Amino acid sequence: MTVLLGYVPSALGEAALRAAVEQARFRDEPVLVVNTSRGDAYVDPRFAQEGDLARVVRELTAEGVPHAVRQLMRGRDAAEEITEIVETEEISLVVIGIRHRTPVGKLIMGSTAQEILLRVRCPVLAVKAD
Amino acid sequence: MTGMTTRPERGGDPPPRPDVGSGPVAAPVPGQPDGPAPADADAGSTPARDRAQYAVCAFLALVGVLVLVDAARTGHAISAADAIGPKPVPILLGVLLLIVATLYTVDVARGGTGEPEAGEDVDLTTPIDWRTVLLLIGAFLVNAVLIDRLGWVISGSLLFWGSAFALGNRHHVRNLLIAVALSLATFYTFAIGLGVSLPAGVLQGIL
Amino acid sequence: MDNLGNLLDGFANVVTPMNLLIALLGVTIGTAVGVLPGIGPAMTVALLLPVTYGMEPTQAFIMFAGIFYGGMYGGSTTSILLNTPGESSSVVTAIEGNRMAKAGRAAQALATAAIGSFVAGTIATLLLVLVTPPVVRFAISLGAPDYFALMLLSFVAVTAVLGASRVRGFASLLIGLVIGTVGIDAVSGQQRLTLGIPQLADGIDVVVVAVGIFAVGEALWIAAHLRRRAAEVIPVGRPWMGRQDWKRSWKPWLRGTAYGFPFGALPAGGGEIPTFLSYATEKKLTRHPEEFGRGAIEGVAGPEAANNASAAGTLVPMLAIGLPTNATAAVMLAAFQQYGIQPGPLLFERESGLVWTLIASLFVGNLLLLVLNLPLAPAWARLLRIPRPYLYAGILFFASMGAYAVNAQPFDLFLLLTLGLLGFGMRRFGLPILPLIIGVILGPRAELQGRRALQLSGGELHGLLGGWVSWAIYAVVVVVLLWPVLGRFVVRGVRERLVTG
Repeated sequence: MTVLLGYVPSALGEAALRAAVEQARFRDEPVLVVNTSRGDAYVDPRFAQEGDLARVVRELTAEGVPHAVRQLMRGRDAAEEITEIVETEEISLVVIGIRHRTPVGKLIMGSTAQEILLRVRCPVLAVKAD
Repeated sequence: MTGMTTRPERGGDPPPRPDVGSGPVAAPVPGQPDGPAPADADAGSTPARDRAQYAVCAFLALVGVLVLVDAARTGHAISAADAIGPKPVPILLGVLLLIVATLYTVDVARGGTGEPEAGEDVDLTTPIDWRTVLLLIGAFLVNAVLIDRLGWVISGSLLFWGSAFALGNRHHVRNLLIAVALSLATFYTFAIGLGVSLPAGVLQGIL
Repeated sequence: MDNLGNLLDGFANVVTPMNLLIALLGVTIGTAVGVLPGIGPAMTVALLLPVTYGMEPTQAFIMFAGIFYGGMYGGSTTSILLNTPGESSSVVTAIEGNRMAKAGRAAQALATAAIGSFVAGTIATLLLVLVTPPVVRFAISLGAPDYFALMLLSFVAVTAVLGASRVRGFASLLIGLVIGTVGIDAVSGQQRLTLGIPQLADGIDVVVVAVGIFAVGEALWIAAHLRRRAAEVIPVGRPWMGRQDWKRSWKPWLRGTAYGFPFGALPAGGGEIPTFLSYATEKKLTRHPEEFGRGAIEGVAGPEAANNASAAGTLVPMLAIGLPTNATAAVMLAAFQQYGIQPGPLLFERESGLVWTLIASLFVGNLLLLVLNLPLAPAWARLLRIPRPYLYAGILFFASMGAYAVNAQPFDLFLLLTLGLLGFGMRRFGLPILPLIIGVILGPRAELQGRRALQLSGGELHGLLGGWVSWAIYAVVVVVLLWPVLGRFVVRGVRERLVTG
């Protein structure tokens, strides 16, 4: 069983990372770091670059947590990718960062967190930024 | 140029053709999935591609014949001001087309290929995504057919929304809002502001 | 020097509030378009052409000039910050520019690119002012046979020099010539290739061809092969340069300008060769050779100046003779023709005000671009966050709008789609696009000149040979046909020096 961390390079992602580390220690499970992008835009700030991922790996190693990193760019939303991974692999917990969205904001911009919360079978830990 | 594909000028100049081993060396783009050089992209499908090129030759020959037939039909109208009339140029073009079609066929038979145009946004390792292309054409046709009846604002919105949908964007509501906003903005700025002829269609009198 | 007086009049025209606003609009659109890799100035001018029908010609051209120059500026921003050339002429900038950015010197790279572009653009536009009148005087002395020869040279240059396969280039040219033939023949009134469709009697509008082949064809092709990518833009503060950087940049700027301007003026010269030459030269002349390949500022300064200067250079033959040397100039020529203005030697006589205002607006636009780009370059990079489905949906949207607006007929939209599919097919089979556009735009003119020349000789072919000019041009045509053999030697030598040197 693995803890899945939906990571984006931002303060929210860092908060989620810390929570994931804590949970992984608590459950004694490895962490699967997942970062995805649709790849539609030339520049996607949510897509972690080499430096970001290297930092994440360093932190996980320093904490002594076994880990794996998966980056996907297949033209699909983060929610779709995470849902698929949960369905096909043994995931015990999904950890994501969440932020406030108004109903109109959700209608126009969509809410990845909401989709994951509603679709995924396993428990979801939604972390706010510090 | 390994690791970095060149982009042709959006106007038709072909990319600087990388001869093997020459060309400035550039670092691979971070995070970009490996882009292969176009030359080795379709090694497996080369025989199929060769055959498809014959269609181009056939097309050229067909156009040549069409031009010649039409030229024969054209009236012969020489006057004092015009020594040769309207026929010679089409006849010349038709003949040249047939010649080029032949030379092209020879080139293809000898294994010559035309590189499909590469570009920043183009990933040549995958075959043509017909679904997307057909959906785009569909969105375009919807606009073409409906524009006079429903007006630019509605049919233009459908065009934009349909195109965004065809290209894979899943934010349907957002796309609809952007589409309508764009159509209204362009209608007011251009049709009413600059006098460009865009039909109001069904919404005549409301806008 | 009454040209100076004309130029000052032009400035007076440009510096009105309305025209300045339009110039600002033009350079903004141009920069935005240059930053986004999928779109180029040629396509943008083609897309905006129908929209400008309601505008005064002066204003429309001020805007187009802004777009033309702006494209060059925007392209370098993307090259430096993203290692992706925004324009094909920015390819070389990306080599050193991106390395500089990765080494934390993005601000300097952007600054030298912007300032170098300004310097080169200003000098080149000055050269334009100086060089064009003599060229016009020369052009006036040309007769119909000479013009015919010149256009033949254009055809040959565009098919034989560019691209690897001359057969395909020639095929593309022929298709363009055929498209140009559709419609009622101007001299005799006969219908040609109209296939019984009444809407085709007026011929196929050049704008529809340009928009169809460039915009729609491109969009369909990208849709077929969309590559997914999500790179990182290197964050950068306000561009600036230190004293050392200025010292190292100013000579490459001047050298780059010297390379760029003549190449821009040559048929099929283009913006790429001078940038390569500039890069090679700077590499040879630099006092810091170890920096090349790791972020040498000369490698950005020179090529950027070269590509801006070549943009100005393309205007010389376009305005003075009516001969476009690249796709953007071809579309600008079509724009002139849409307004019933024929670029060429008589342009300066008949439309003196318009031309000098246009040239003055180039200076003003250059300045606006410097002011716009220097502080705002990082902001422009944010445009790259727009998802491509929106970009290409937008292209199809504006393309349809423009095509419909030409004649207020849905027929033009179907025509647009047909041409778009043609453009798609050409990209699929590797047929170059530029010969087709040149064929559509220059074909009818070439035929006109040819028939005029033959009229004088009563239909005998020797009528196509006029004065010494036409003989000289035909000689050049022969050289150009043999150029691929020579050219591969020269260009490959340059490239090999870039790799091994």
